[in-house]
Amino acid sequence: MAHPADTSQPRLAAGCRWGGSGEEGTILFPEGAIKVQGTGKKILEHCDGQNTFLQIVEELQKHYTASDPAHIKEDVAKFLEALHQKRIVDY
Amino acid sequence: MLSNPLALIAEITHRCPLHCVYCSNPLQMAGVQSELATDTWLRVWREAAKLGVLHLHLTGGEPLARPDLTELIAGAHAAGLYTNLITSGVGLSEQRLASLVEAGLDHIQVSFQDSREVAANWIAGAKAHAHKIQLSRNIRKHKIAFTVNLVVHRQNLDHLEEMISFLEDLQPDRMEIAHAQYYGWALESRTSLIPTRDQLERAVKTVAEAEARLSGKIRIDSVVPDYYARYPKSCMGGWGRRLMLIEPAGKALPCHAAGVIPGLEFDNVSAHSLEWIWRESAAFRKFRGEEWMQEPCRSCDRRTEDFGGCRCQALMLTGDANATDPTCSLAPQHKLIEAVLLAANSGEQGTSRPITTGSLRQVQEQGLWMYRTNPE
Repeated sequence: MAHPADTSQPRLAAGCRWGGSGEEGTILFPEGAIKVQGTGKKILEHCDGQNTFLQIVEELQKHYTASDPAHIKEDVAKFLEALHQKRIVDY
Repeated sequence: MLSNPLALIAEITHRCPLHCVYCSNPLQMAGVQSELATDTWLRVWREAAKLGVLHLHLTGGEPLARPDLTELIAGAHAAGLYTNLITSGVGLSEQRLASLVEAGLDHIQVSFQDSREVAANWIAGAKAHAHKIQLSRNIRKHKIAFTVNLVVHRQNLDHLEEMISFLEDLQPDRMEIAHAQYYGWALESRTSLIPTRDQLERAVKTVAEAEARLSGKIRIDSVVPDYYARYPKSCMGGWGRRLMLIEPAGKALPCHAAGVIPGLEFDNVSAHSLEWIWRESAAFRKFRGEEWMQEPCRSCDRRTEDFGGCRCQALMLTGDANATDPTCSLAPQHKLIEAVLLAANSGEQGTSRPITTGSLRQVQEQGLWMYRTNPE
């Protein structure tokens, strides 16, 4: 399974959507749901099929200036790859 | 503290064009006349969402037999529920599918009986296979999640690889490969459905290979047969802990098969709110917690994981709904399962029967199994 490419445009997979309400976000998908908060929530909110992977990473890097930018990119890639594996995110 | 239910399974009708030999519906089905009205279901959806339910599974019978299905889905969507339609696909035109998606359907799950048409129709007791293939093509034109479900058993396990590659070509997001479970109609036909140990071991390997090969493309969920497991399944995630099922006439049950347990009274959504039923209904409280447990469950470390297994299976096989599920290797009555497995793996029954191309009538005459009938 490959990391998302810089130009790929991550989005929620078919049949996966936001649900619930409140501070925590809930992603609903077939036979399951995950709660996301903090950085994870921020990343997924940018996965609209328009933003590229690189744009999402840059957005995060602007927000977390104290962290190593390369680290941030790696973490975002791993996060999206794990959700891709579960068929929650497509890119 | 009592948590809220996460999923609601709504059997909106017991009518079905298929007659699958392993149908999970009860032998005593609810008739058409007793089915809940549209408005009652719509109220149930709103109450469910308020109670914290996230997923609604519309099933049956065949949910398409309800002419108000589009309205039911629209109502569930408006209530905020994630809506899954579990269907045979028979009678789902391109136009009707589009209207269901338009109404807010999130996920559709289509059952397949086999990769081979004759065999598939033989299990279903109906000519349904070709419709399902056509439907699958139509589904992929829409942006909804698509699951294919395959029930495996003694009669089809020998060509599992072929069935997986057939399903793969339908381009689902998800594949469910489930061994038949012996409740209701399937218990009646258990001898013809139970796999041999050799079939099971090969199947586990085949599924693992497919999982690795399709990783990131198709998610595979598989269910292993509890008769061959060391410990029982955590049935429904524990009695009255996560799931609620409502049958066509409105009775709320903790699981599909709970009706077999004598002495349980099931409250009806026509008379009570969902919240009241979840908290107060005697049927839901009956096997919650550990009070009811006998030894060895009562002192077993696994009691918080599998909750003593399935109450319905315990009742059906031992006659006592409080007994340890006999599929557990620690169960006092595990010998009941051992005897079934011994028979399944020896002598004439030990040889897996190949699917023949005989007519349905011939098969019925041979007494291989019993087809599901339809409610009045």
